[in-house]
Amino acid sequence: MSQRFLEHGLRGSAIAGLLIGWMLASPMVRAGDASAGADVFKSECAECHSPKQGKNKKGPSLFDIVGRPAGTAPNYKYTDALTQGKWTWTTDKLHWYLSQPARKANPGTRMKYDGLDDPKQLDDLITYLGTLH
Amino acid sequence: MQTFLHRRALCRPRKLHLWYGLAALPLIAAQTAHAVPAYARQTGSACADCHAGAYGPALTPYGMRFKMNGYTDTDGQGTKIPAAIQINGTRTVPAKGQSSNQLSEADIYLAGRVSDHVGGFVKVADYNTGNNKFNTQLSDVDLRFVAKDLKLADKEALIGVSFNNNPGFDDPVDALPAATLNGPPTVSGTLLNPSSSNTLAHRVYGASLYALYDKNWYGELGTYNSLPTSMQNNLGYRISGDPGKLSDTVYARFAYLRDFKRQFVSAGLVGLTTKRQLPRSGPSESLTDLGYDVTYQYLGNHENIVQLAYVNIMERRRYATTPFGPIPGLVALPRGVVHDQSLTATYVFKQSYGVTISHMVSTGTHDIVRYVPYGEPDTSSNSLTVFWTPFGKDDSFTTIANLRLAVEWFHFNKFNGSSDNVFGAPPGAPMTNARDLNAFVIFASVAF
Repeated sequence: MSQRFLEHGLRGSAIAGLLIGWMLASPMVRAGDASAGADVFKSECAECHSPKQGKNKKGPSLFDIVGRPAGTAPNYKYTDALTQGKWTWTTDKLHWYLSQPARKANPGTRMKYDGLDDPKQLDDLITYLGTLH
Repeated sequence: MQTFLHRRALCRPRKLHLWYGLAALPLIAAQTAHAVPAYARQTGSACADCHAGAYGPALTPYGMRFKMNGYTDTDGQGTKIPAAIQINGTRTVPAKGQSSNQLSEADIYLAGRVSDHVGGFVKVADYNTGNNKFNTQLSDVDLRFVAKDLKLADKEALIGVSFNNNPGFDDPVDALPAATLNGPPTVSGTLLNPSSSNTLAHRVYGASLYALYDKNWYGELGTYNSLPTSMQNNLGYRISGDPGKLSDTVYARFAYLRDFKRQFVSAGLVGLTTKRQLPRSGPSESLTDLGYDVTYQYLGNHENIVQLAYVNIMERRRYATTPFGPIPGLVALPRGVVHDQSLTATYVFKQSYGVTISHMVSTGTHDIVRYVPYGEPDTSSNSLTVFWTPFGKDDSFTTIANLRLAVEWFHFNKFNGSSDNVFGAPPGAPMTNARDLNAFVIFASVAF
């Protein structure tokens, strides 16, 4: 009985661990509010970036941004600073990049953004970006 | 811009000392916007990114930056045709007089970037002068060279040069009368008000050096000279509206701008001083405009946008002559002051449906000789505009062309110093009251 209980407990722990691991690795990791993030996007990003696929503005389309290698949006002419960055836009990378001035995060970029100070807004925004696919 | 009402009462006094007395009725031009689809094609942006109402002219902070960047921003996807067309139709229903429907204006814009450092805006307008006769005019011109992404004392800086033909048109805040096309109707307005008689707008040429420091501090210094009258004529302007011969003209602008993303505030000072000979062979008068403006925008997530602007410009005049009045002993004052003020509030819902309310006042020093018949140039008016712009948003049918339907009520409280009998008609003669100048106008505009 106690061994069975132990097996159940281990299995439960393993499942919980997997769930936590999945959550940490997923775009939902920061548990932001995508709806609120859409508003943040409109006020902070929409003038230069479109959420639509293939629609580049002054900045590239942010469709499918989470998981995309940096500097690879189709038909957008990037600066060398970004194409040579060789990183992928994970949620953590986006959090790092957007929480500071863009030119500090990526010297040489054309992007003029001062960064988003409000951690909740940042989480909401990144959660919203994760829905763009 | 010569609209129906503008043309209706445009008159130049035969006596020079009345030059400041009676001039032009209102400039109802606020509907001829500066939303240029060529810029939308160039940048990939929607009209609504730069204009709260998706059709202009009122700029969002993003639009202001685009202007300061010399119209050079791009989506990097090759060269786009830097041209656009706008067509306006109007139905004008004046309180007194005949109503009219007409294709009122057709414009060609040459607008866009030449390189990362050179861009511009040129508007050629074809105005219906009545009976479907059109007059082509070179309207606003703003050609820029800009050096971006500079560092001064470890702060971001931008320095540019604007070659333009309308003092204040190039201003980024877009609150000054030349930029909004919404100067107070006046019989004796300031130089910076394009509604004034013998306005500088489009009849001068000049250049100004401007700079933006640390994103928030804007400064500009420039000079202007008037075009020869023959050239004004060639560009579609009547010689009777000549601003005169200008000298020692200096334009200065200083403003603090702060973009909080969801809100925007600005406060600025503006000045223009010149010596003017009007007529050109006559003696010289001295004119100095000094003004301030404050603006506020609530942008939020752009679903509900509120824009407020207050502009107050004072002009000090040292007249060239002090003519005698019709009654012995009456003589004009050697100096005078006029004020142009406007308060404008706009609300826009979903960047499509909007309402604008303006209160405009133009006042001046009492001078019984110069301001016939009451000695007062005071004019007070209100306008209410309701508009709809269905396109030009990121999620609309098209982002790079637009339609605007608008209705505007224009109401005069006072004109030429009085509410009644504003032109001082003698007993028995037909009188014109200020309210007789009211008008209801329906506008339909397309731009592509």
